[in-house]
Amino acid sequence: MIAKYLKTASMAAHNKTYAGIMALLPGAFLRVVCLIPLLMLWRTLMAGGTETGMTLSQMLTYTYISAILSDLLVVESPLTNWYYDGALIGIYQRPISLYGHVIAQTLGGAVPGLLVFSLPMLLVAPLLKVSIVPATLWFFPSLVLSISLGFAIEFLFACLFIRMVNAMWIAYTLRRAALSLLAGNVIPFAVLPWGIGNVLSLLPFGSLGGAALAVYSGTASPLQILPVQLLWNLILWPVTILIFRKSQERMVSHGG
Amino acid sequence: MAAKRIPIARFLALYGIYAKMDLMWFLRDFKYAVLGILGDAVSNLTAVAGIFLLAWRFDGVGGMTRYEVLFMLGYSTLITGVFQTFFASNNTGHISRRIGRGQIDHMLIQPLPLPVQLLAEGFIPFTGSSNLVTGSLILAAAVHFMEIALPWWWIFSLIGNVAVTMLIILSESYLYSSVAFYAPAAAEEIAYYVIDLRSPLSQYPLSGMPLQLQIPLITAVPAGLLAWFPTMALLGKPPLSLTSFFPVLVAVLFFLLAQFTFRKGMMHYVKTGSSRYLTQGYRR
Repeated sequence: MIAKYLKTASMAAHNKTYAGIMALLPGAFLRVVCLIPLLMLWRTLMAGGTETGMTLSQMLTYTYISAILSDLLVVESPLTNWYYDGALIGIYQRPISLYGHVIAQTLGGAVPGLLVFSLPMLLVAPLLKVSIVPATLWFFPSLVLSISLGFAIEFLFACLFIRMVNAMWIAYTLRRAALSLLAGNVIPFAVLPWGIGNVLSLLPFGSLGGAALAVYSGTASPLQILPVQLLWNLILWPVTILIFRKSQERMVSHGG
Repeated sequence: MAAKRIPIARFLALYGIYAKMDLMWFLRDFKYAVLGILGDAVSNLTAVAGIFLLAWRFDGVGGMTRYEVLFMLGYSTLITGVFQTFFASNNTGHISRRIGRGQIDHMLIQPLPLPVQLLAEGFIPFTGSSNLVTGSLILAAAVHFMEIALPWWWIFSLIGNVAVTMLIILSESYLYSSVAFYAPAAAEEIAYYVIDLRSPLSQYPLSGMPLQLQIPLITAVPAGLLAWFPTMALLGKPPLSLTSFFPVLVAVLFFLLAQFTFRKGMMHYVKTGSSRYLTQGYRR
């Protein structure tokens, strides 16, 4: 039962390396180049002594883990690309659930990045004076809920793409924009002014990366985060399945 | 060389043609065009909002005031807008996509020199200028809140800085995109990495950061020259005791390097072509 999904994930991982492992290195290098200044930015900001409810150590942990687990904290599946280029029709012809296929393909596709970028970065964390020890093991269920919710939101965005027919790029742009600020995986909700973070943390996007990172860094209690994540999963998955079932009938693709 | 033989009137006529085509799309597909314009503006505003909220929360960053940071984010948005208006369409800015997909073949059979096509094809003044307008408004707001009086020539200084910043972005894009001549599949998206994925880095205020970080970010990986340095120069305090003209030097160096590598890549391409070329211009 599970074997076909594991095989799909394995094929997705291999597919990412079809141009050679060397082709993954520029992307990994770029992620390092972006991460180091961000760590420096936090050091500069926190040196002013402004009270934020987070220590410098927590802030650095939050940022570091956000970078190395970015593919999991805010999942980005190939679903919308398949729809755009017409490849989705091929997926329907396979003896495997569409949901399972998308999840297996996405998670499998994340593996090379985890090996080429995340694993080495975990090893060099002490050299950068960043603690990578999670504040609590509740991070792991929180991460699972975050990934699960991420897929529900992915399918909902796919429904939006189907509605917008030939304006996929617009929907893609809006999706990235919404997630970049509202998911809290770059800037912790705790440091946003005017209590904006308190509101964002209660939204569905707030239960993605930012929630898991808050648990990891110990800036929020798991008792506060996990019930909200669980609630959004329970609400959004049935809604997603219902809307996606209806949206499938509207699919029109000029690709393929 | 060949581009010099094209008179300026022909250039303007080409810009007119592309502007007309952009307007036609805007009018024909009004709903999606407006959504696209709003989408671009919202996307960029969201990206800069995070840094501004931080600057607000921490009452500035590394010696830069809140409104200086806002000015910097306005400049960054303006640069995005200029890029989108002049170089977003037909991937003339993301040139590795054209090379990697084998679409340079299409350009070589056009009755216009390649540089002229590259300069004109990206022009979308109606659907691509949302960030240009948004960036100008943010800049104006920042200047208003800073309560500074700017001399009459300041606007020319701004235009000059924008031109230099664009030269750096395009030179970098063409420099790294040259790899796509040799590895079309692997390097097809390299310009996206160089321009888009690195974009957040150019929005970080580097003031107050260690010299070991500032130096690489204004030389080898010149993200600091895309918003931070020009901002400080335009506000009359160029950082690191450097002249305000320092970005010009870096821009010229990157341009020369890009010109050399791109020409070399083209020489390779005209001999080998692209294995990814399909008659409809799409890729394998």
